[in-house]
Parts: sequence; structure tokens; C-alpha cells
Amino acid sequence: MAREPDGIDLDDPWQAIEVCYEQGWTDGLPVVPATEALVERMLASGPWAPDEVLLHEPARDRAVTAFKAAVNAVLAGCRPEYFPVIGAALTAIGDPGFELHGPATSTGGAALMVIVNGPVRRRLGIQSKANLFGPGFRANATIGRALRLVLLNCLECRPGVLDKSTQGWPGKYSLCFAEDEEASPWEPLSVARGFRAGQSTVTVFAAESGHNVLSHGTRSPERLLTLFAETMAGLGSLSPGRSVVVLAPEHAGHLARERWGRTRIQAWLYERAWRSLADLKRAGKVEPAFLTNPRLLEWLYRHHAAGVPFPPPDPGAAECITAEDETVRVHRGLGPDDILLCVGGGEAGGHSAFFPSWSRGRSVPFITKEVPA
Amino acid sequence: MTRILDPTLRAVKTIGTAPLAPRPSRLAGARIGLLANGKSNGMPLLERIALILGERHAIVEVVRVAKTNASVPVTEAEAQPLLERCAAVVTAIGD
Repeated sequence: MAREPDGIDLDDPWQAIEVCYEQGWTDGLPVVPATEALVERMLASGPWAPDEVLLHEPARDRAVTAFKAAVNAVLAGCRPEYFPVIGAALTAIGDPGFELHGPATSTGGAALMVIVNGPVRRRLGIQSKANLFGPGFRANATIGRALRLVLLNCLECRPGVLDKSTQGWPGKYSLCFAEDEEASPWEPLSVARGFRAGQSTVTVFAAESGHNVLSHGTRSPERLLTLFAETMAGLGSLSPGRSVVVLAPEHAGHLARERWGRTRIQAWLYERAWRSLADLKRAGKVEPAFLTNPRLLEWLYRHHAAGVPFPPPDPGAAECITAEDETVRVHRGLGPDDILLCVGGGEAGGHSAFFPSWSRGRSVPFITKEVPA
Repeated sequence: MTRILDPTLRAVKTIGTAPLAPRPSRLAGARIGLLANGKSNGMPLLERIALILGERHAIVEVVRVAKTNASVPVTEAEAQPLLERCAAVVTAIGD
């Protein structure tokens, strides 16, 4: 290192943990104080030079170097071998298309979801089976946590200051899991997203809290998927944004038995996850500003019935429900590709999960990046 | 003695070097821009500010721009009328 890194000199390890709290360097849980030796080990397990920028956030012009990422990965409790996954995930959330400033700061309180595919899952022990969203797995708990600490410490997304989450949710501590490729009847998510089989990848998403999709009552693909579509059409989260659906192996098995493929499921769900424009208006989901915003108008009237004229911008129409509004179907998302399907969870149980995008608007896309070897 | 390292960017220079624009010396007779984030309450908040500016400083005209995406910086196309026509721009978010 060219110069001595900024820090605080201490004797007592316990005092070091307390100093990290005093400095505001934690997410509320204790951190592993980052010594130079630990940071060097973290950096050494990735391919990046210390001053290489892994993430540049343009709205506030903040550049996160591999060195600062490594400091935060140590704080998060990561093992050095996790660092390539963390670096790839930071590169993904720093992709200009991800528009990180929104999910990092919005009242919507997005978590940064990281889905891991490929051989790196097993090598690092990233859980894809029982309790994959819950506690018990160091890689799941600390890789996502490293991202959050980068947001807190480097992008200054402090709660109530720059992170204006109205409520937030526990996924903001860490939301990292692997796809259970072995239990999936389909090609891995990474392959569906254009990567080679055997490549390790991360796919990131800005997620609201997940909804359990509970069904032990049917093996029929149509009935099962009706339940998913109903959950996805819930008005609380209905938006033009994307969806992540994590199918439990049991549910995936019901679909595979009848030879339902990924594309067919996506199309089926998109086709049925809708509410009428009248329903949206009755529930106050149509804000006046929607009716002067071309992007949101395009969503609301994307599937309008023949004969219903595309309305001229009129914010006053937000609360005026017409007979035509009963016939206008407003779907979740803009098309089948907005639904990301993957498989994960314990062998037993009919519990899948639907994660809506953060935001009342289009929100941000899925971004997939390769994990460097 | 062990040094624990600083995880923040407080001691790090940011990439950008864009200087702050000079402040206008007077607003009387000036054309003022309003740049809202595009959410429902952004422009109403700015309209109140424009009203107060009008009462206090005799501004001559208000140019209004609302972004179509609140999450990203203003685009060049959106900023163009503000750049070309306004002596000063007030921006705000309103949820």
C-alpha cells in the first residue's frame, strides 16, 4: 500500500468493537474490526487492485474501491474467499442500469438481493436449501451484509438521513442465497440469463419484503400458479416493476411433472397477475402524477381493451372511476421477462416466495455478473 | 497496538470536480426554473416556493420541469430548458 491507511490505533479487541459502534461503522450488529492484515487477506482473494473502483454511484459521485470494499467485507464477517462474490455483486449494483441511488435511499426500503449460481455456491457454502433466507449460514449472512455496510459506510446511506426507508425490513441486513440448481427441473438461472453452464454468477435485484406463497393442497400446475398469480396481483405491491419468484423444490416438482418450462410459467403468471384499473383507483393506487407520466401511463393502459381510448393526461382522473376502467387490465410488470424464476428451499414444504420490486414505478432491472475465478 | 481501518470515504476524494454554480446576485426580473422529481408532491412543493419568490423578489417567469424517473439524475434533455432560460433553478423532492 502506498501510504498508511486511515484508522484508529487500539490495544483491546473488545474496545475495537465498541469503537466501531461509536464511529457509526455498523449496521447495529457487532462487526469484526478491520485490521490491515485481515483486509490484505480479503483483497488477496480477489483479482482487483486495491485502488480499482468496483462501484461508482453517479448521483452523489461516490467511488468505492476494492480496498474500501475489503474493509467492509471484513467488518461484515466475511471469509476472504467470499470476496470475488462481493466484488461481482458491487459491480452489479453499480451497473448504470441498476440506478442504485433509488433503491439505496428511497422510502420504499429496498433490500439488495443477491442470487448466486454456479460452482462457487458449493465452494463457499452458500445455502440454497432449508431456511435459505433465514439465519444459520455464514456466507448468506455476511455477503449481503458486506453490501449493506458498503452502502452505510461508503455511500453514507444512514437510516433517516440518506436512507429514507419508511420502515425497511430485515432483508436489508443481508439477502444473499444460492439457487438450488440440483433441485431445479430447469436450466440454472444464470444460463437462462445468458451465461454458460458452469460459470459462477451473481444476479442482483432491489426487493421489497417477500410474500410466502403457501400451498400444500394441489399438484395441478394451473391451480398452483393461480395462487402465485393472485399473490403477485396483490394491490399493496402492484407496480410496473419486476418480480422474483423462488419456487420451493416441492412446487417446482409439481410443475416439472407436467412438463411446464420456465418460459411457459413466466407467460402464464404475467397473463394472470393483473387487477382492473378500477380496482387500482378504488384502492388509491393511481396517483395524480401517474396520469401525467408517460412511463406510468404506458403501464396502466398497456393492455387496454379495444375501444377504450388512451386518455389524455389528466391528473384529475385519478379518483374518477369510469365503466371503462373496469375493463382495463393492469398487469404486474411489463411482460413475462419481468418475472425471474429460480428454485430454492428445503426438500419438505409447500412454501415458495414472491419478492416484488421496490418502488411504485418501474424500478430497476435484474443485473447478472460473472464471479471472477 | 493494532490499527483498525476506516471503512468510510470521509478521507477519500470523490471523482467529480464539478464546481458549484455562482449564485445570482439578484432575482428581480429573473426567470426561475423549478425541477421536480416527478412524484406527486414534488411540483406542489416547488410551486409554493415559486409563489414566495414571486412575492419577495419580483421574478418574471417560472419554467417547470418534472423528471419522469425520480431515481436518476436529471437528463440533458430535461435540463436543457432550465440551462437555456433560467438564472437559477430550485429543485426538490416530494413523495
